[in-house]
Amino acid sequence: MKLNRSIFWIFPLLVLALPLVLNQYLQYVVNLILVYILVGVGFNIVVGNLGQLAFSNVAFFGIGAYASGILTTQLGMPWWLTVIPAGLCGALAGCAASIPALRGVRLFYLAIMTLAFGELMRWLYIRTPGLTGGSMGLTVPEPAVFGWMLTTEYHKFYVFLFIVVVVVIATSRLLESRIGRAFLAIKNDENAAAAMGIPTGQYFLLAFALSGFVVGIGGSMYAALVGHLSPEDFDLIQVILHFAIIMVGGLGSLIGSILGSILITATPEVIRHFEWLVGSEEWIFGVSIIVVILFLPRGLSSLLAKVNSIFKDRYYRN
Amino acid sequence: MALLTVTNATVQFGGLIAVNQVSFGAEPGKVRALIGPNGAGKTTLFKAIAGEEQLASGTIHFQDQAIHTLTPHEISARGIRRTFQTGGLFGELTALENVLTGLHTQIPSSFGGLLANTRSAKAVEKAATKKALKLLDLMGIAHVAEQWARDLSGGQKRMVEIVRALATDPPLLLLDEPAVGLAPPVRLELMNIIRRLVDEENIGVILIEHAIEFVMTVSDTIMVLNNGEVIAEGAPEEIRQNKDVLEAYLGR
Repeated sequence: MKLNRSIFWIFPLLVLALPLVLNQYLQYVVNLILVYILVGVGFNIVVGNLGQLAFSNVAFFGIGAYASGILTTQLGMPWWLTVIPAGLCGALAGCAASIPALRGVRLFYLAIMTLAFGELMRWLYIRTPGLTGGSMGLTVPEPAVFGWMLTTEYHKFYVFLFIVVVVVIATSRLLESRIGRAFLAIKNDENAAAAMGIPTGQYFLLAFALSGFVVGIGGSMYAALVGHLSPEDFDLIQVILHFAIIMVGGLGSLIGSILGSILITATPEVIRHFEWLVGSEEWIFGVSIIVVILFLPRGLSSLLAKVNSIFKDRYYRN
Repeated sequence: MALLTVTNATVQFGGLIAVNQVSFGAEPGKVRALIGPNGAGKTTLFKAIAGEEQLASGTIHFQDQAIHTLTPHEISARGIRRTFQTGGLFGELTALENVLTGLHTQIPSSFGGLLANTRSAKAVEKAATKKALKLLDLMGIAHVAEQWARDLSGGQKRMVEIVRALATDPPLLLLDEPAVGLAPPVRLELMNIIRRLVDEENIGVILIEHAIEFVMTVSDTIMVLNNGEVIAEGAPEEIRQNKDVLEAYLGR
């Protein structure tokens, strides 16, 4: 069947009606999915598109969250004004995280260095109680947009959805342009990319900064969603979660990031919803990841690509 | 005027001298072949010209400007483009996107323009795509434009790589073993393409190749390297008769 790309607009439009059918708790889960969509989209830029084994994503997430938390609590800024600064803090962290890669560190060495960066940031959250509340955590005031308090999950949902749609479209445009081609060229063959006149160093920096920006905004939304940040929110379990999102969704696929975050975020919550399944969340979650990777090694996006070619043309690379 | 002038170029890896005091020039409208046994330093010399290896001593000038201190992408932007011995194509990109990557430096759309999807950004991309398709068509491979590069046949891959390298109309093209693994008819086609580029477009070509008949037919000058040093240089017929070359290269 021939489909037009405008079909993509159906999804956010359909999702708009969700508050009509969901209770507050399920709405919270949907909001969490929106947060993790940005986490996945940002992480995928560095891992899936640039092809680098860099796990600094949790640092960007935490920095974005704490940036919003600190700006609202310490400076009294309304939350909506902190979203872009949180993204910029994430981007700055992205620039810092790209330094080892710019110095030629690759693969497992880059992985361990970037993991260390995330742990270092967690240590910093604990050791700067004046700013972050230390191990007690930081309580973030109720978010507000233009003076309108986002008191319910439904309110947050519409604001989050707007942010996610804007950020995903912007990212999609960049990834489909010469910039996205340069990222993939570097992933495929760095020397050949440079031989095409692509300044590879600049594109490394750009990919990490872009990733940090997107994930930083996700962090800011996370702060507004949960209302309380603590250093444990950004530990190694989060690294696994972020990695699972992009692996299950599909490396380098924008739609994959979205599908992955839906599956990874919703599965444990849906299981919890059924009383007779309570207590088996962990193993069902683990098994479902294994099953998806086993039967769809290219992630859920590969399934979608088989359904219709419009998903394949633009995003599906494997 | 020489397009490229390499003067006393030396490349060292620790104690190993891979290229030793090599000097030569490349001219527009001429094919210069580099031949020699494996490990002679041919690809290392290519890498030095392309900026991937640093010279321990010596200089490389392109269009009268020193380039041996520049990075690979700067050298590429000056107009020296190369193909690779193996795996130079971007497998996860289509053939068309590969050529568009070759046009990277000629797609000046700004970051803001791309984000806002402005009319000028779209126009620039559209013009580049049109040019890329035209180039693929000229090489007779427009029909593979939308295929993933990794799914192409060996011959198609080689053609796409050459189209990609030529996309910006570079004055100098470095071809690293372009004929390897190609069937005889495809080799012949490739030979004709190289000669056409050189004779009609006045491009300078430096070629590394082991297929001796290919080299003899397509080249104007042949330079023979052995253990990092030039042991002979001359027209194909002279090289064919050269005793040192026969000994070093053919083991006779």
